[in-house]
Amino acid sequence: MSDKPVTMKCPLCGFEFEKANAVCHHGCPMGRFCKLIRCPSCQYEFPEPSRPLTWLAKLIHPPRPRRPDALDLTGLDAGETAEFVGLAGANESRRHTLSLYGLVPGVHVTLQQKRPAYVVRVGETELALEADIAREILVRRTA
Amino acid sequence: MNERTLILVGNPNVGKSVLFSKLTGKFVVISNYPGTTVEITRGEMQLDGEKFTVIDSPGVNELAPRTEDARVTCDVLRDHPDATVIQVADAKNLRRALLVTHQLAQQQRRVVLVLNMMDELDSCGGHIDVRRLSELLGVPVVPTIATANTGIHLVQRSLKDAAVPRWGRARPPGAPNVADGPAVRPYQDDGLTAINEVLSQTYSHVRPRHASFAQQLGWWATHPVKGLALLAVALSVTFWFVGLFGAGTCVDLLETGVFGRYISPWAIRAVDAVLPFPHEHETEVSDLKLEIPLTPAHGIELWSNEREVLSTNYKSEATGWRRLVHDFFVGPYGVITMALSYGFAIVLPIVTTFFLLFGVLEDSGYLPRLAVMVNRIFRAMGLNGKAVLPMVLGLGCDTMATMTTRILETRKERLITTLLLALAVPCSAQLGVLLAMMTRVSAAAAVFWFVLMVGVLFVIGWLASRIYGGATSDFILELPPMRRPLLGNVLVKTLARLEWYLKEVIPLFVLGTVALFLLDRAHLLDKIARLGEPLVRGWLGLPAQTAEAFLVGFLRRDFGAVYLLDAATGANPLLNAHQVLVAMVTITLFMPCVATLFMISRELGRKTAAWIAVFVFGVAFLVGGIVNHTVVWLGF
Repeated sequence: MSDKPVTMKCPLCGFEFEKANAVCHHGCPMGRFCKLIRCPSCQYEFPEPSRPLTWLAKLIHPPRPRRPDALDLTGLDAGETAEFVGLAGANESRRHTLSLYGLVPGVHVTLQQKRPAYVVRVGETELALEADIAREILVRRTA
Repeated sequence: MNERTLILVGNPNVGKSVLFSKLTGKFVVISNYPGTTVEITRGEMQLDGEKFTVIDSPGVNELAPRTEDARVTCDVLRDHPDATVIQVADAKNLRRALLVTHQLAQQQRRVVLVLNMMDELDSCGGHIDVRRLSELLGVPVVPTIATANTGIHLVQRSLKDAAVPRWGRARPPGAPNVADGPAVRPYQDDGLTAINEVLSQTYSHVRPRHASFAQQLGWWATHPVKGLALLAVALSVTFWFVGLFGAGTCVDLLETGVFGRYISPWAIRAVDAVLPFPHEHETEVSDLKLEIPLTPAHGIELWSNEREVLSTNYKSEATGWRRLVHDFFVGPYGVITMALSYGFAIVLPIVTTFFLLFGVLEDSGYLPRLAVMVNRIFRAMGLNGKAVLPMVLGLGCDTMATMTTRILETRKERLITTLLLALAVPCSAQLGVLLAMMTRVSAAAAVFWFVLMVGVLFVIGWLASRIYGGATSDFILELPPMRRPLLGNVLVKTLARLEWYLKEVIPLFVLGTVALFLLDRAHLLDKIARLGEPLVRGWLGLPAQTAEAFLVGFLRRDFGAVYLLDAATGANPLLNAHQVLVAMVTITLFMPCVATLFMISRELGRKTAAWIAVFVFGVAFLVGGIVNHTVVWLGF
């Protein structure tokens, strides 16, 4: 499907966004011939990642392993409470939806159950999520 | 006058509609399920001699038109730029409410913040400093318990103080910045810091040591094992209450008792007295039993009695307009003896019992939990658990359910759900009739019918999701707290649904009966029966007379089913057990009714509706025929 959102990550601030959301100057004469992308979060401009470029970048900077202090929801046991850190590799709309339910960085979430679907409690809101989404929810165990 | 308009805005399931009906005295459907209100409702409120127009809007988590119902709310706000906004908030979820308040502030709306469900906040151990909150935001903040009528007048009194919320206060130095670290950065500050600041000053929470019973029950409902047990309980209660009590005892009482013994004979005598022509009505034995049902075939008999009553059958050589009018009202296809008795005596009790039970389930907060249980299964059909609400409601009325498919996010999901509703989800009226027919076949055949219907549902759903392609939306569903349903609300809601239903059903029944009557008069019924013979007799293996049933089945499938029921269980049944099974399968898969078709074309467009109709009828006859030939071939 052509309307599948292309997600990209800003190399400067790490913000992930859909390609369609990349901002550009109005009235720029380059128009669609411009191959630069501007991050909507920090306004940093960078060339559209191409395959050889990505390969080169990986060669120079091998991807770092995931931050050890942050684990995803699936790593928690049912009944555990942890601090919500952020979303890994999700698209803008999913992040947005979750934030509307009160799932914003810094809040504490309690994992209530894992099967047949994940149920987390954020404040007084109980949210049911699928495993796919639970895997993207990064949390940090608090003492 | 614009400034006299009030708009109720707030997160889903916070009680906007309750407040609306308390303010205006006008009834709206209310339930414990996010997204009940899908259209706006207007009402009027009198206050100090002034008239206000109050508008109830669908719940939103943000004021951006991302989903269909959010679009409705945004449009309402845009169309009334000067209206005062009553923002209704769930006191337990203040953070989410403040997100909306923040956006209202950006739009420069004058706001009164209503903190509803204060009782639930108390019981979960939370506390809100209402005065401080009002100071910080600069708007009136009113704590209420709308269902208990607490604080409603305070809302009315504070309307004149409505103001634009103050935001953008500088973060105090040294306050921790919650948006730190690379994974967190993406959260642009949509006022989050400001909201956290307000929260920290006004909201405190001490978690109670023990979970309440309602909370416990809520957890059980989504537990992989206990959840299934609870589901089994819910299903058996439904089966007993709707299938056995509603479709058995109540229908018996109304059909045999009220209609068979009083209304029909009375109508026959009345018509005979007004329009006399030489004829004598036959009599038939009416056997009325009052029993507590245990299974479809057994029960504890409390009382029974037999009596002779007038039948619609008569022999007469007379012709002329008197006989025509006589037959129009009380003949075998009479408006009173057929349409009204089917509509009120058979459909009404079944639908009433279903809507009562559905109201209880809805208000308890069980349905979203059911969505959690079935999410995986629905995934295979290209849907997610959220589609369970339209599906369950479809067991009550498919037309209503088609309308609620709006809560689904993608067109793919709406289309597949609508298709499955039209095809294999029998509405309660039909289900009741089918249950009655089931007493004529063996238990094995009944089980076969059930498995076949579920099978068709899954196969067609799976195929449709393959063919349609595209992604299903994320399954992120808020689980509202489990609550004890309020009897009054359930009753009022049931009545409102019944009114809607009867307005839809009775005219269709009358229309169908009149059509049958006219066809019968013009001797076209026989011709149609003959025309349909290859299909009905050859392919389905049913007697040619049942073509009439399928004919009226086009109008309403339960009407067709009642017709088949008559053929299956009358004094000398027309159908044998195997034919009953084939008839059941075919009529279950029929298009629910003309009204559903109209609703589909309203929701999805005329072309799609036409395709769905063709497909549904095709599948119905195809599967019916296959069942017939398989059973014959196996030699049952």
